[in-house]
Amino acid sequence: MSFVSTEFLLFVAIAAAGYYLIPKKFQWMWLLLFSYIYYASSGIKFLIFLLFTTFTTYSTAIWIEHVDQQHSDDKKKISKKKRNITIIGLLLNFGMLALLKYINFGIVNINVIFKADLSFPDFLLPLGISFYTFQSMGYLLDVNWGKCKAERNPFRFALFVSFFPQILQGPIGRFDRLAHQLYAEHSFNWERTERALQLILWGFFKKMVLADNAGVFVDTIFGNYQAYPGLSIIAVLLYSVQLYGDFSGGMDVVMGIADLFDITMDENFRRPYFARSITDFWHRWHITLGTWMKDYIFYPLSLSRPMSRFGKFARKQFGKNIGRTLPICIANIVVFLVVGIWHGAAWKFIVYGLYNGLIIAFSGLMAQNYRKWKKSLHINEKSKSWIFFQILRTFLLVNISWFFDRANSVREACGMMKNALIHFNPAELLTIPMGESGTGFTPIGIGIVILASAILFTVSVLQERGICIRSAIAARPLVLRWAIYLFLVFALPVLGQPPSATGGFIYAQF
Amino acid sequence: MEKLLEILEDIQPDADYAACTTLIDDGILDSFAILSIVGELEEQFGVEVSPADIIPENFNSAQALWGMIQRLQG
Repeated sequence: MSFVSTEFLLFVAIAAAGYYLIPKKFQWMWLLLFSYIYYASSGIKFLIFLLFTTFTTYSTAIWIEHVDQQHSDDKKKISKKKRNITIIGLLLNFGMLALLKYINFGIVNINVIFKADLSFPDFLLPLGISFYTFQSMGYLLDVNWGKCKAERNPFRFALFVSFFPQILQGPIGRFDRLAHQLYAEHSFNWERTERALQLILWGFFKKMVLADNAGVFVDTIFGNYQAYPGLSIIAVLLYSVQLYGDFSGGMDVVMGIADLFDITMDENFRRPYFARSITDFWHRWHITLGTWMKDYIFYPLSLSRPMSRFGKFARKQFGKNIGRTLPICIANIVVFLVVGIWHGAAWKFIVYGLYNGLIIAFSGLMAQNYRKWKKSLHINEKSKSWIFFQILRTFLLVNISWFFDRANSVREACGMMKNALIHFNPAELLTIPMGESGTGFTPIGIGIVILASAILFTVSVLQERGICIRSAIAARPLVLRWAIYLFLVFALPVLGQPPSATGGFIYAQF
Repeated sequence: MEKLLEILEDIQPDADYAACTTLIDDGILDSFAILSIVGELEEQFGVEVSPADIIPENFNSAQALWGMIQRLQG
């Protein structure tokens, strides 16, 4: 069921209405029912994968707690047993994910390296498998580390894994923040519902009006970049806008829907293009993936015995500063390799991950030097011009990474970047047809993208200053409020791309 | 405690470690800084910090960090 469809809107309306009409103690069961209906709508055969992860995670978590409660003086033995059980759970689920997602990539490369001719049937990925697998494995590790108690009710646990607003493209939730909300009793509140509907509307605006219109140009140019040599820069800027509008718009819809059920999801975006460094960018872009990586890979890897030993060796060889930073840099590069691979089975994603990882690692190593240089150049880090420079520099670095993310291959990404350095001809944009009216509609399409970008930029600047937009609008006179709502409502069908023309949400493919 | 403050100043200077109680919440210490600090604590105080110890409650202030060190040493 696509988010951008009348049947989905109807589905949510029925789910939300029924939620507040039934006795409160059944509310979580109602959510579970609707989550499974939603999942089954993507294909009944995919339910087996969801059930596999639900069952294996549920049982290994309880098994871990059972071992933990055994009376034994040998704490080390218990700890080791718990760790081994955790590894079983991780292998089963990440193994399943890896198998489904990366088998074709593996075979293609084996064929190239060994001149073999293996093949494997190409199948569709179960809906949201990357997201629900990561969320479940986070829970398993939390139980192993004693950060949360294992959920004993299998149906309640099933809801945590399958909660329908987030299953498609996150945010990746944490058990200690999400579970109690899912299982609690909730009362209807009109103001909360109003705010939720506004957020959903805003999300659809970003997706259908901004992202999908920009996407028409992005798809055309990236699909045949050699035909549009003068448009590389504009293409990547439009992609910046499309990806942000699509993903953050989708997140707003998800959060708004969850809000309808009085469930607060974790923030996934915080105006990422205002980031002052690549590190800062990853604190603002796909936040829940970043924090998942930090808590479940970055810290454990950095604090592991082998890494500590390496750290001691590095201190002896390279001195205190580099010695203590090098293990962290290596762990960081590993994390971003995983982030890259998480996006997909392609070399370009590996390059994308390494690019980000190396920049952050390098800036980590250089941190003390940067501080010295800034002092000697008398740079005022709080000055507007310095901050502006940082934002622009980061935006440039991020756009380079978008070439690897969006182009069809590493080679094409490099080709486009070469074009970006030599050619610039915005007029070529007018040759790209938009919809049934062909190039006649193109100037209007460009206008819509510019207008929607300007609206989004204004909203973002206000939010960055700490202004809550929905509260600000609520405080305005009735006529102005309704003018804004009606503009958004009518913008969707009038200015937005029809859902049939676009491919759904970008991140739903992961 | 002085040794701890020296470590903090060396890794992330220009913060008021004597008074600040929101080192994590305000983003003064990011994950690189946290791990650098942990590395120094392990080296200088002989403690072993696990991922489960890296929570805001332990890192939001120099006092909280000192408390964690003493617990791990004990």
